[in-house]
Amino acid sequence: MKQKQKWATVYLVLVFILLYTPIFYLIFYSFNEAGTMNQFSGFTLNHYSALAEDARLLIIALDTVRIALLSALIATVIGTAGAIGIYYTRQRRAQNVLLSLNNILLVSPDVIIGASFLLLFTLVGFQLGFYSVLLAHIAFSIPIVVLMVLPKLEDMNANMITAARDLGASPIQVLTSVILPSITPGILAGYFMAFTFSIDDFAVTFFVTGGGFATLSVEIYSRARQGVSLEINALSTLLFLVAVSLVSGYYFIQQQQRNRKKLSQLDPTVHEKAVTP
Amino acid sequence: MTEEIIVSFDQVEKKYEKETVLKTISFDLEKGKFYTLLGPSGCGKSTILNLIAGFASPSSGTVSILGKDTRDTPPNKRKINTVFQDYALFPHLNVFDNVAFGLKMKKMNKEKIKSKVTETLKLVRLEGFENRDIAEMSGGQKQRVAIARALVNEPDLLLLDEPLSALDLKLRTEMQYELRDLQQRLGITFLFVTHDQEEALAMSDEIMVMKEGRIVQTGTPNAVYDEPINRYVADFIGESNIVRGRMVRDYAVSFAGKTFTCVDGGMQPDEQVDVVIRPEDLVLTEAEAGDIQIFVQTQLFRGVHYEIMGQDDAGNDWMVHSTRQSEPGRRVGLTFDPQDIHIMRINETEEAFDERIEQFATAAYEKTSKGGAGQDD
Repeated sequence: MKQKQKWATVYLVLVFILLYTPIFYLIFYSFNEAGTMNQFSGFTLNHYSALAEDARLLIIALDTVRIALLSALIATVIGTAGAIGIYYTRQRRAQNVLLSLNNILLVSPDVIIGASFLLLFTLVGFQLGFYSVLLAHIAFSIPIVVLMVLPKLEDMNANMITAARDLGASPIQVLTSVILPSITPGILAGYFMAFTFSIDDFAVTFFVTGGGFATLSVEIYSRARQGVSLEINALSTLLFLVAVSLVSGYYFIQQQQRNRKKLSQLDPTVHEKAVTP
Repeated sequence: MTEEIIVSFDQVEKKYEKETVLKTISFDLEKGKFYTLLGPSGCGKSTILNLIAGFASPSSGTVSILGKDTRDTPPNKRKINTVFQDYALFPHLNVFDNVAFGLKMKKMNKEKIKSKVTETLKLVRLEGFENRDIAEMSGGQKQRVAIARALVNEPDLLLLDEPLSALDLKLRTEMQYELRDLQQRLGITFLFVTHDQEEALAMSDEIMVMKEGRIVQTGTPNAVYDEPINRYVADFIGESNIVRGRMVRDYAVSFAGKTFTCVDGGMQPDEQVDVVIRPEDLVLTEAEAGDIQIFVQTQLFRGVHYEIMGQDDAGNDWMVHSTRQSEPGRRVGLTFDPQDIHIMRINETEEAFDERIEQFATAAYEKTSKGGAGQDD
């Protein structure tokens, strides 16, 4: 038994090494004094300062964040509305069809989605650039939001809606004071998922960026094709650090919530009050 | 005396697709009374609540509230509130905000909301719990929050959909007293739905017994218990011995091979009837002294009494509740008084039943009670 467990651990460590080595390799060479990744000649932050002076790259980075924030926001609004729509669809069949249509978009290859958007935009004569990218990102983020929000709706006690109406809430009041607060965690998760998917996306974006506009992933790709510049390493390192801090931030928030819940369960007066009404 | 009628059902029918859930139901609910809808699950009790609250509309017939047809009144415009079986509290709000929900929806000013919520929480004995999370409350406390949340809106009618079924026995009994007390203090009409006959008997002014989408019998707890209209009601409300019998003439019925004096009449001579005697009305005696003799088969200790099951010579089963012990295998006698015998005609309508009871039972009751008083002297 113990032997088996040991091998499992070794295997796991190996997998992680394999996954993380290229990233650390890249990070390591971002501090290389020599301009290439052939050998390490000495420590420097030159690539980082070059990065700071690269106005074009900074604008692209800002644009990327702008696209991500905006597209995630709009996709969250539309996706949440869509999820509520699917939830309220009475007929089981129609509900399944809607859900399947949503899921197909989620699993279909980015290349196809990207190509079809390119086709659509050129067909209707839409100028490629910031707005085409924004629209494309909104479009592929909506199914993600739907998928994050729908389970929260289904977990919700449906009688709560009945109770709210019984207490005199109009349909809009039911939505704002019962449904939305109950599914807020799902909406937030959907927003962050949409945000990261937007930052991440290369394939779809690649099709719909015009000449004058690029996002980081597209820019890194085109620069890497022209030959290795360690500025890219520096940029990738920064992105990696942002990702790590986001993940750990999320972890700490979750941890705190869990602790709070435990405390309330440990409240010694709860039992006593349960016994004496 | 004209009582104000809160809700009135007139020939109401409800169909879901092909299934008929309610079959032409008519009844009135008067102001300030405690009504109970009693019946097994699936008999249409909850449908009646939904029709009153406005979550469903009748397929035919009219449901009127305070004399007005409700066809076009949405639930949020009705002065009726519900206490749900699973409470349906809002977990993202604390106790205060849960109770204040209805008032906030009406855009009442904050000061007024605060005083009303505080007052209502006091009513259900939850002062000091305002800032608690719902998750921190016990089952009984959640129940009180749900009641407070409904009562704070000062409804004309409070609907309670099996609200006690999730509580343990002791808490349930306690809540029965409290609900009854609340209802009497506030004077609000309660419509309570349950499948528990004890709950119904303990709290109600009037019980409506339902079966398969129909109201079978309506009456005070005493009337429904003592004078069940048919086998179904007798069986559903309390334990009962139901045996086949034959009406010899008015005030004389024959069953278990003998003829007994009873207090019912108005049937055809020699009509086949069902005879009901409650287990607690049967008194255990020596075999020779009994009106009928049974052979004891089993005996269970129930705490307050022994539950003795036996069979008479004619093959009828009898259940006896007695504080005295017997033992399986013994032959014992059972005695009972004429007014303990209740006769039910087979397939009698409620109107005909009421009329007959009015005519015969009261007259006979006066006669026997006078006789009883004479003996005491």
